[in-house]
Amino acid sequence: MLLTLFLLGLLYVVFIGVLFAAGAGAGIIVAVALVLLLVQLFASDKIAMATLGVKEVSPAEEPELHGIIERLCVQADLPKPRVCVMETSMPNAFAMGRTRKSTTVCATRGILELLSPPELEGVLAHELTHVINRDVMVMTLAGFFASLAALILQFAFFFGGGANSEEGEEDIILVVIASAVVYTVSFLLMRALSRYREFAADRGGAVLTGRPSALASALIKVTGTMERVPSQDLRSAESLSAFFIVPARAKKSLYNLFADHPPLEQRLAALERLESQLQSAV
Amino acid sequence: MGLRDILTGRHQVTGPAPDRLFAIATAYVTLQAEHQIDPAGTAAIVFQALATSEFESTLRDTEEVVKATCGDSGTTVKTEDDSYGYRWMILHNAPGTPSVEDLAVGLNAVSSSIETAGHGERLLAAVFAFVDAQKRRIYFIYNYKRGFWYPFVPDPDNSQQRLTERELQLKAQMGSELPMEPELERWFPLWGIPI
Repeated sequence: MLLTLFLLGLLYVVFIGVLFAAGAGAGIIVAVALVLLLVQLFASDKIAMATLGVKEVSPAEEPELHGIIERLCVQADLPKPRVCVMETSMPNAFAMGRTRKSTTVCATRGILELLSPPELEGVLAHELTHVINRDVMVMTLAGFFASLAALILQFAFFFGGGANSEEGEEDIILVVIASAVVYTVSFLLMRALSRYREFAADRGGAVLTGRPSALASALIKVTGTMERVPSQDLRSAESLSAFFIVPARAKKSLYNLFADHPPLEQRLAALERLESQLQSAV
Repeated sequence: MGLRDILTGRHQVTGPAPDRLFAIATAYVTLQAEHQIDPAGTAAIVFQALATSEFESTLRDTEEVVKATCGDSGTTVKTEDDSYGYRWMILHNAPGTPSVEDLAVGLNAVSSSIETAGHGERLLAAVFAFVDAQKRRIYFIYNYKRGFWYPFVPDPDNSQQRLTERELQLKAQMGSELPMEPELERWFPLWGIPI
């Protein structure tokens, strides 16, 4: 998933770089980037829902899920989001949508079966906190600025350097290398930002329910199961990993720098600190 | 929520809005006189119970305060946890003498002592039960976060269904007396209300 995402993004930047070097106007490139951004902002939830087999459920079908979300919405002073269920045994949950008014909260069948109501409430509060914090918007915009940074660098090459009227092979290679470097750096920064937002959502979710330990216990349960899930399931769900409560992968390795979620131990430690603050408050 | 909060991802849980709970204490007269909807003599407040000893002792004190406030009129208090892990404090008038004022005073005592203890953001809603001419249960729910009221009429024949038409009628009938929640998507149902 990580490599795919990275390479895809790299391809995108390289492609635009090549386009540019090949003589396409700057206006066209900015327009393409803007269109991509708009698609991401306005249609990504629909695309994801269509491709992942996520389906909306009525209160009659999932009374408990709706009940938990409704109470959390009262508590967080949010309008009610669309509630969806994804029919997979992999336990996970995610929130989509760019504003508070157009939000979808989705839980998988696996997580509904695995967690007790207070744990599920903790997980859903985490997801709703993403909505409150406008994380989808922030991450999309941050990603856009990262791409834009790469573009600007390319401009600098063309107009700042010896602005020859004839572009040679070397120029193209330089452009490609520069944009690749910028992209690599911004990719790492994006990951760091994402980890930070996850901590913030853990904290916000725990404050919302007043039960940090319930979220901690849910995280333990979910990750415990995640590691035992066959990898085929994981691959089919990979593309949404950034919005999942626990990333959909089962490997333990050098992911710390690249990971979009902080390691479990750190999340648990943060929740434990919160719980002890709560217990000792007078 | 400002830009800074969005950027840092930090926010506070919303505390209670300015209190409009007592609007019910006058509105019920209209309900009874003009719309034949009688008070059922019971009301409840629902909140998140923190699992801390400090919060539990606050609740014990609260219960004492409510008993002291409403005891004279024969109003009783009991506490119940629901399947979502929320705590209900339920007030019953003495049989045969329903008094919405007493209930409102009692619930206000609960909410203000929880607020005084610094846990105002845990308050979810207050619910007043009524009975209409067809003996159907009608609830008026007060959302503490918003400071607004809305009607909730569960369908007696189908579980998890609500009679939206009736609720909208009630909104039209009572809109001038009760501060009604203007956004319909915030008319959150509370299934399994224990009153």
